[in-house]
Amino acid sequence: MGTGLTLVTGATGFLGRRVITRLRELNQPFRAVMRPGARLTSELNEQLTGRDSRGELAECSLNDQAGLDRVLDGVDVVLHLAASKSGSAPAQIANTVVTSENLFQSAVRAGTPRVVLVSSFGVIGAGQVPTGGLLDESVPMEPHPEWRDPYSFAKHKQESLAWRYSRDHGLRLVVLRPGSIFGPGQNILTSRIGVNLFGLFLHLGRGATLPLTYVQNCADAIVQAGTAPDAEGEVFCIVDDDLPTSRQLLRRYRREIARIPFVPVPSVALQQLAVLNAWYSRRTGNHLPPVFTPYKVSNMWRGLRFSNEKAKRVLKWTPRVPMADALRITFEAERHVGQAG
Amino acid sequence: MKVAVVGCGQIADAHIQEVRRIPGAVVEAVCDSNPHMAEQAAERFEVPQRYTDVDRMLTDVRPEVVHITTPPESHLALGRLAISHGAHAYIEKPFTATVAEAEELVAAATRAGVLVCAGHSNAFDPAYLRLRALCDEGVLGDVVHVDAAMGYSLTGPFGSAMMSDPAHWVHRLPGGLTHNNIPHPVSLLLPFLPGERPRVVARGQRLRPERYGDVRDRFMDELRVMLFSGSSSASLVFSCRTRPIQLYAAVSGTRAQAIASIDGRTVQIVRGASMPGPFAKVQWTHQAYRQSRGEFYGSVKRLLRADLHFFGGMHELIRRLYLAIEGKGEMPVPMAEALRTTRVIEDIVSQCRLAEEEA
Repeated sequence: MGTGLTLVTGATGFLGRRVITRLRELNQPFRAVMRPGARLTSELNEQLTGRDSRGELAECSLNDQAGLDRVLDGVDVVLHLAASKSGSAPAQIANTVVTSENLFQSAVRAGTPRVVLVSSFGVIGAGQVPTGGLLDESVPMEPHPEWRDPYSFAKHKQESLAWRYSRDHGLRLVVLRPGSIFGPGQNILTSRIGVNLFGLFLHLGRGATLPLTYVQNCADAIVQAGTAPDAEGEVFCIVDDDLPTSRQLLRRYRREIARIPFVPVPSVALQQLAVLNAWYSRRTGNHLPPVFTPYKVSNMWRGLRFSNEKAKRVLKWTPRVPMADALRITFEAERHVGQAG
Repeated sequence: MKVAVVGCGQIADAHIQEVRRIPGAVVEAVCDSNPHMAEQAAERFEVPQRYTDVDRMLTDVRPEVVHITTPPESHLALGRLAISHGAHAYIEKPFTATVAEAEELVAAATRAGVLVCAGHSNAFDPAYLRLRALCDEGVLGDVVHVDAAMGYSLTGPFGSAMMSDPAHWVHRLPGGLTHNNIPHPVSLLLPFLPGERPRVVARGQRLRPERYGDVRDRFMDELRVMLFSGSSSASLVFSCRTRPIQLYAAVSGTRAQAIASIDGRTVQIVRGASMPGPFAKVQWTHQAYRQSRGEFYGSVKRLLRADLHFFGGMHELIRRLYLAIEGKGEMPVPMAEALRTTRVIEDIVSQCRLAEEEA
């Protein structure tokens, strides 16, 4: 122990690549876990093989328990980012929860390095917070994750499992719950802003503040969580400062990227639509999936306030890329993609 | 009908949803060797009981029918276990990994006096059933030839899961990906072919570039098959390159031809033209136009009646199986037909592997 070696799962992903970049900037030794056969990006390859790199690559499936035991050897910190982001609920449970349990078991066997779990805002029971209220680490977890989308459901199960390992097996756990992570390469118009329905964008977020975090800022927080004293056993919400509203972002998107046709959906209409959608889906045996449900509406598209005070105080983290710059970089990248397309 | 589902992967969702749409049928328990998989299914579908031990579930719950939705290599063992508890079984396709296993399973079911149904659900899709009815009513005349084609995406929900994991169970099947998928088109072809065992001519190819250096580079992604039986023949195309992704069956008869699209849930009949010269071409397109219009309005009506469920074929198969269990109907996929399909699939896979080895 005491090598300072950091293991990163999901290292080839949108967020994982930035975590590797940050570790390299800090000159920390790291081991990047990559699924066998996954494509090694030129960026990650450079991080691993570049001059003075203290990184190494480990090809290992998170379903391979013996392989996990090997890659955890000598590791002090695990930054667990790997998770399924799409697909059916069973697929996401298999690729997020079952695999996480394998990792936690290996971590316990390895003498419990600190495990930083990158969870999600989706696990928080936002429906319990009144409109305009503050959503922070004090809000309990979602009481009915099965009524949410498959991603939030799987992440909720994953985080609950991590806490169980912390309680029952002494896993040294730190949980980070990032809001919507954005940056170049990721569509800025997330479901928190609205959904595309047959070519028409339904603007659901309206004037609600968006819990955004820029990918590099989020990566910084994750790396900080690996070493910050007093972080173990704690949860941290990760959002940047100066958060924009859904309306501001959609306006900017239409001004700078594409003038997509959209319809603002008032909250009363959204509630009615959700009641109708849920009723129809239930009555017809899922003839149309319940895209909107009253439960989702109360969790996803209401005006709430967000805090990153605890992350700043305990992790000593600050979003080093200001929101204005982060949005500018992201929109510029999106414009390039649009022009290339 | 008291139902249990063993195996809580992606297809189990469809089973649970379709069982719930059948009046009087209740999913009492789900079981998966992984507790998280069993838990997620039970919570999302409000199934009262969940297990990780099949034997214990069968003892506690005593289901009348068990849906086995696990990888095919486990079908024989789980099927036998269900049978030993006196339960009927719906077994997802492929019925078993080998003919020997299929024979053993059918023999066990026959001895115990229970039904074991192969999950050839696309053969009960409403469009395919209409095609069968056209043949039965003599509209198409005698069947001369049948085509079935299936497109597949390696980047779809299942394809990407399989491609990202060299340990995925699909790679352990003798015929890999094609083995897992051709029960669909084969089950659409065989009802039109007489005889116990059609003669098979099959060729498989791997046309995608090598990328992984492991088992994921080895399975066939293109398959062409000809089947001959008596005076009828059939062809099968399985392709990972054709688009759009769809499954269809087309029957060429002595009077007319018809094509049933499982994905479009449509049937088109081609009767030809009786008018002379260039008028025949106009008549031909007019026929196609009238049929398309009819199919369009039919689809809209079914949409308004909420009757376009993706797994409509599975629903109909389950419904008929439950009626057969209650003694109110015939077995939808007779066990002999499950065996016949498994034999043809094994013949196809064997030929392709042999050709591969020779090459």
